Amino acid sequence: MSTGNIGIPTAEFLASVREALGRTDEPPADPYAPLQDDLAALTEQAATVRERVARELPDLSRQLGETAALRGWNVARCGGVEEALDYVVSLATQLGATSVARSEQEVFESVPVDAALAGVGAMCWPAVYDGPEGREAVRRRLAESGMGITGADYAIAETGSVVVLPRQGLSRLVSVVPPVHVAIVRPQDILGTLDDLFALRRLEFHRDGAQGNGDMGSYLNFITGPSRTADIEQTIVVGVHGPREVHMVLLDEE
Amino acid sequence: MIQDERVVLPEWGGSANLARRFAREIALSQPPPIRASLFVTCIIDQLYPEVGVSVVRVLRRCGVEVDFPEGQTCCGQPLYNSGFTQEARKLAVRTLDALDGSQYVVVPSGSCGAMLRVFYEDLFADDPVMLERAEALRDRVYEFTEFLTEVLGVDTSPVERPAADGPAATRTVAYHPSCHLLREMRVREAPQQLLNNAVSVELVDLPDAEQCCGFGGTFAVKYPHISEEMLADKLASIRQSGADTVTACDMGCLMHIGGAISRQNLPVSVQHIAQVLDGGEG
Amino acid sequence: MAEVATREFVAASQAAVRDEQLRQALRRAGSGFDGTRREAIAEVTEDVWEDWRQQARSIKEHTIAHLDYYLAMLERNVQAAGGQVHFARDAAQANAIVSEIARQQGVRTVTKSKSMVSEELGLNHVLEEQGVDVFETDLGEYIIQLAEETPSHLVAPALHKTRGQVAQLFAEQLGVPYSEDIEEMARIARVALRQKFLEADMGISGANFLVAETGSLVIITNEGNGRLCTSAPRIHVGLAGMEKVIPSLQDLAVFLRLLPRSATGQRITSYMSMVTGPRRADDEDGPEEFHLVIVDNGRSRLLRDPALRESLYCIRCGACLNVCPIYQRVGGHAYGWVYPGPIGSIVTPGLVGVAQAKDLPNASTLCGACRDACPVQINIPRMLLHLRHQQAESDDTNQRTVSDTDKALAQGFATVMSSPWLLRLGRLVGRALSAPLARSGKIRQTRLPLVSRWTRARDLPVPAERSFRDRWRDELSKGGN
Repeated sequence: MSTGNIGIPTAEFLASVREALGRTDEPPADPYAPLQDDLAALTEQAATVRERVARELPDLSRQLGETAALRGWNVARCGGVEEALDYVVSLATQLGATSVARSEQEVFESVPVDAALAGVGAMCWPAVYDGPEGREAVRRRLAESGMGITGADYAIAETGSVVVLPRQGLSRLVSVVPPVHVAIVRPQDILGTLDDLFALRRLEFHRDGAQGNGDMGSYLNFITGPSRTADIEQTIVVGVHGPREVHMVLLDEE
Repeated sequence: MIQDERVVLPEWGGSANLARRFAREIALSQPPPIRASLFVTCIIDQLYPEVGVSVVRVLRRCGVEVDFPEGQTCCGQPLYNSGFTQEARKLAVRTLDALDGSQYVVVPSGSCGAMLRVFYEDLFADDPVMLERAEALRDRVYEFTEFLTEVLGVDTSPVERPAADGPAATRTVAYHPSCHLLREMRVREAPQQLLNNAVSVELVDLPDAEQCCGFGGTFAVKYPHISEEMLADKLASIRQSGADTVTACDMGCLMHIGGAISRQNLPVSVQHIAQVLDGGEG
Repeated sequence: MAEVATREFVAASQAAVRDEQLRQALRRAGSGFDGTRREAIAEVTEDVWEDWRQQARSIKEHTIAHLDYYLAMLERNVQAAGGQVHFARDAAQANAIVSEIARQQGVRTVTKSKSMVSEELGLNHVLEEQGVDVFETDLGEYIIQLAEETPSHLVAPALHKTRGQVAQLFAEQLGVPYSEDIEEMARIARVALRQKFLEADMGISGANFLVAETGSLVIITNEGNGRLCTSAPRIHVGLAGMEKVIPSLQDLAVFLRLLPRSATGQRITSYMSMVTGPRRADDEDGPEEFHLVIVDNGRSRLLRDPALRESLYCIRCGACLNVCPIYQRVGGHAYGWVYPGPIGSIVTPGLVGVAQAKDLPNASTLCGACRDACPVQINIPRMLLHLRHQQAESDDTNQRTVSDTDKALAQGFATVMSSPWLLRLGRLVGRALSAPLARSGKIRQTRLPLVSRWTRARDLPVPAERSFRDRWRDELSKGGN
């Protein structure tokens, strides 16, 4: 059963805000420019982003790797799939991980980690809840896994970040519960700046018509380096509630 | 504006030669005379008149025609800072009256200078007539070192240093940038440039220089326990700097810092920057 | 609402300046945070930084000026994404809303990520009273929850605690062996909270930003607890002050650049999570319900006064605390309520009432370091002056709290300064009165009220024998030196 609105009525609350501001319920006289973008404008902005990113890709890829390393990622630049698989396998071996969770994403069709890990005795399994195990069992298995692997929906050169959009096949927990997270980044995932990211997400949100009718999904995770805290004497410790170690596998080509 | 002049500023109290040479250069270039009214501030007027004397001396040596509008008292800042806006306005009106018609107003204080330049506009925000007068004053107000560098251009021409047989550096000076000068009047470089160019001054680093000394007007007596902590840190910085003289552009801060130096009998002399530039006299 | 102890500022700050451990903690944190903040600014250059500040400021100005409009847009879009928005006028209403959701849903365990609004509401206490177990999961918040204290800093709640104090606390409260090893202490918290994350029925988070355009709640964290709180439990409740809304997703970029750099000097935090409604039908996981509680709790008072309105631009980065010479001496608790430091000295009187918090606007030297550090250019010194003005001269007697002594002193000063003639008289009287107290021109010790508060640590000069104007008239006006 869902809980309905139990605060004070919206109209009453907004009226008190208006009263404090001394204004009427007119929209802003000077409309806010970004919110005037229609679908055509957003489409064009997104296309501009894509064009620029394509043009600057080698630079952006280099910048991503450098920045990510500064922000605490272990960056593995891999010329191809074989190299990437080798990296993942040797990582799992080093960690002694026998259970490796992964998402169900397109990237694993071209980067077959399951088979590669099986070769060294590590069980790589898709953390999806619609299997026979049920939700609680999957969570328990996640908590016991030594490593979680996901793709990247985007990777941001400006900040050295990986963006994942949890959805069907991509649990919110794969990248946060196991102590080590590996993100596989393909060239087509790379963007330049935060502005690039939000331009693309805005288009996604507005794509299906008038404002609010689109959907860009329930969650966006912007990940930059390991989990960390400095809450005791401003001393940095990694791996508090999230992964202590994160690896960015940068595929130069798929 | 005097430009491209070789201006010798600091310690020619003792050098008649340099003084004559400077006067000759001024005469040769024949710039239009710069007239400035001194707003001396009540604290200098009442407690530290010798600072005002040094200000006048330095300005005159730079060829400025200095006048002192005698109607001035206090700019009103102590009242304004304590929330007594109505009372502050009365003093602001008096100050505006006194300074009407001045070409430049020179204030040897960042704090009082900020009051004249920045806060009068806030004070008269709802009084269009007075606001206009406050705005007219704003553009004519200069803090003392700012006036030397911005208007007289002392910083744009290299300060002439005497030949090798001239006076050697004789004092180590630490400069405390007062908060209102720094963050309201936005004067950061001028005092340090002048001190750097002063031949008898070796400017030394003051650790955490831009930290407030803890004066804050009535703050110092309302919350002495906090003020004293801040002051203690400032004194520690001064000691650490190894300076024999501490200077600033505000007698408020210097009364505070100097009060503690005096209490603790520290071997550090406390001088307004005008006194330092005036050759340490006064 | 959280307990208000703002009246105790003087006593609390007196105790604080004597607390050597607090002093050490403050020194370490203040210089650490501010040092990295300055490095981060230098890295992008001052010019770029100023440009970002200006952009952020403009966004806030526009949004707050049309706050009702953007709150309505936000509500529409949260609802369109399947979430619920609840508006609360005050702390009691906000607590009742969360409490009611918990009751209706049979919630037994709550995990919380850091939320200053929840501190403001005193929410934990309300939930605990109805039998709900509440676990703070941010390490700093977890520490102060165990210690039954309140946060002392906006971004580092346990900043006032040394490692030894935390070690002691953990040993006593969690029954673990005493260890001052910080990594070990973080591990202890991880182990203690891991199971709670997966057990909890409800996750409560704050909100750094609310995006009106998309109906999204944005939280910025480093530990990963925010991700777990918003992902694992079946209900997610977001708490936000009503000023947190920004118009467009596009606006988020500049704030993501400003906030971490201003807060800790980080170029970006480990995590930014953007929540738009509850889980979709085919999502693997995520909460089945998403509730957003938007709180006024005194903010419309700040909104109503044009001179204080910009305090609602605050993004709670804490930079003003890290540069404030007062905060750095007295710490967060002395301020007596949830929001300490320079910004707290503005918003606290607004939220709890001016008369409750008389000292806060006065306990400042107006040095202006806070304004220079503020990523949205909030002019804190101007607002402190405005609050002092209200205390001295407001028509509203509830706000006019100045003492008769202060008023008399101000009027006396104004009178003396009202003409050069009176000033001269004043000086002569001052000299006559101070002469018996002075030795070589300085007053060293006195029992005079007020004056003694100066002379306990500093000598005081007496008026000069001849004022500057005397010397001007006698010597200088005639061209003499």
